[in-house]
Amino acid sequence: MQARHGHSSYRDRTDEFFGVVETLRRSIAPAAAAPNNVPYGGGGRRDDPRSNAVMQSEFNRRASVIGLAIHQTSQKLSKLAQLAKRSSVFDDPTREIGELTAVIKQEISGLNTALLDLQAVRNSHNDERNISRDTTTHSATVVDDLKNRLMDTTKEFKDVLTLRTENMKIHENRRQRFTNNPSKESTNPFVRQRPLASKPAPSQPAPLPWANGSPSSSSQLVPRRQGEAESSPLLQQQSQQQQQQMVPLQDTYMESRAEALHNVESTIHELSNIFTQLATMVSQQGEIAIRIDQNMEDTLANVEGAQSQLARYLNSISSNRWLMIKIFFVLIAFLMVFLFFVA
Amino acid sequence: MKITALLVLKAAPEATDPVILANASDVSHFGYFQRSSVKEFVVFVGRTVASRTPPSQRQSVQHEEYKVHAYNRNGLCAVGFMDDHYPVRSAFSLLNQVIDEYQKSFGETWRSAKEDSSQPWPYLAQALTKFQDPAEADKLLKIQRELDETKIILHKTIDSVLARGEKLDSLVEKSSDLSMASQMFYKQAKKTNSCCTIL
Repeated sequence: MQARHGHSSYRDRTDEFFGVVETLRRSIAPAAAAPNNVPYGGGGRRDDPRSNAVMQSEFNRRASVIGLAIHQTSQKLSKLAQLAKRSSVFDDPTREIGELTAVIKQEISGLNTALLDLQAVRNSHNDERNISRDTTTHSATVVDDLKNRLMDTTKEFKDVLTLRTENMKIHENRRQRFTNNPSKESTNPFVRQRPLASKPAPSQPAPLPWANGSPSSSSQLVPRRQGEAESSPLLQQQSQQQQQQMVPLQDTYMESRAEALHNVESTIHELSNIFTQLATMVSQQGEIAIRIDQNMEDTLANVEGAQSQLARYLNSISSNRWLMIKIFFVLIAFLMVFLFFVA
Repeated sequence: MKITALLVLKAAPEATDPVILANASDVSHFGYFQRSSVKEFVVFVGRTVASRTPPSQRQSVQHEEYKVHAYNRNGLCAVGFMDDHYPVRSAFSLLNQVIDEYQKSFGETWRSAKEDSSQPWPYLAQALTKFQDPAEADKLLKIQRELDETKIILHKTIDSVLARGEKLDSLVEKSSDLSMASQMFYKQAKKTNSCCTIL
């Protein structure tokens, strides 16, 4: 039917084709695409390549989106690496680095899920219809390439984080050695609680040594205040607070010890994990090393055998014995022929 | 992270002043003229805090820029003057050690002390210098630090082991190619040898 109308029929067909593509694009749904094609298209055979092409183009589009996102993430990562390297003792962009780290982590996990989706979509395509082998290999290659790029990005990210922790540790050491700036780790619960207890009733069993006389609790404060000019009044206030803060301090102390122990224990667990992994990897590699050894021994045996063969060959070639025998036989043959013809 | 002074006192529950049994202070970072007054200040604040600390209790007091930690164990009280960065836990474990050491070396003789003893106790001075780094005093801190370093080293080790694995893989391929090639070599040699002995 196409050949009869010549060129014009092709053009007509093209418009029809575009119309079908439009309808397809409007009504596209991965699961329902196949049954929808049949009433619209001219023939079932032509629908497959078309929807395949649409699916393939969607796959390509998503793959390109993912590739772009990976590229952007790696750019941000290089910026983060620069920041981490650059940080000096005084000009520490901790907050920026933290934000950037969080953003990159989010992006990487998002890319991971997107890549998994892409792979699932591709697998579902492969199962649904007959796609040529080239398309399958192409999509597989694309997915593998994206996965490799994402893995490289993640590895760089990990390196940058390690670098950052090392830098921070170096900075902390330097800061301790040279400056007196308060580090962020110390907390002083009593500084915070100082404004709370203003004038607690002293519940001490023994009157203070410099409280001269007055037994009543309210007047104990006054002579104490007036008595000692040397000590700071704050110390007295806090000493009064101490009685009430005693039990919480014990708890805090014990809690902090318990927490430190927990940390140590979890660190040890992680370490044991790492060690087991290390041992597994090394044992696997040991097996590989044994195989390499065997291969080399085989090679050695082969080469030695070949060398002996060649040596024998050389001997046989270089020896003159056979030559003499051959010449002798040729002479005898000539003699025989001579004697035959002459005699 | 600095310890300024360490004191061991006998904190009597009666109305008397706590008696100083041992005293070690590091006033080198004050000016020469302030040193004696700083020592007096240390002595006085130490007495105050020790007298306010009930037995078998630990306490921390903030005084100007120092934290004073006190630990009272059955009348024997150890007081330490540290700055704000010194971790509280390490401070208390240090005071624990000091008290243990004191009890080991002096037994119970301190109970009868009535006035401030003036002999220096060398252990205290040594402890002051040794424990300027809190990791020394607190075993937990030291362990945690070492564990973290070990973890980093192990991470690096695992990376290098992975690289080693890749290299071993490439080696195994090359060696198998080599063995194939040598086998072909051997066969060829055998063929040329055994084929034509004559001619």
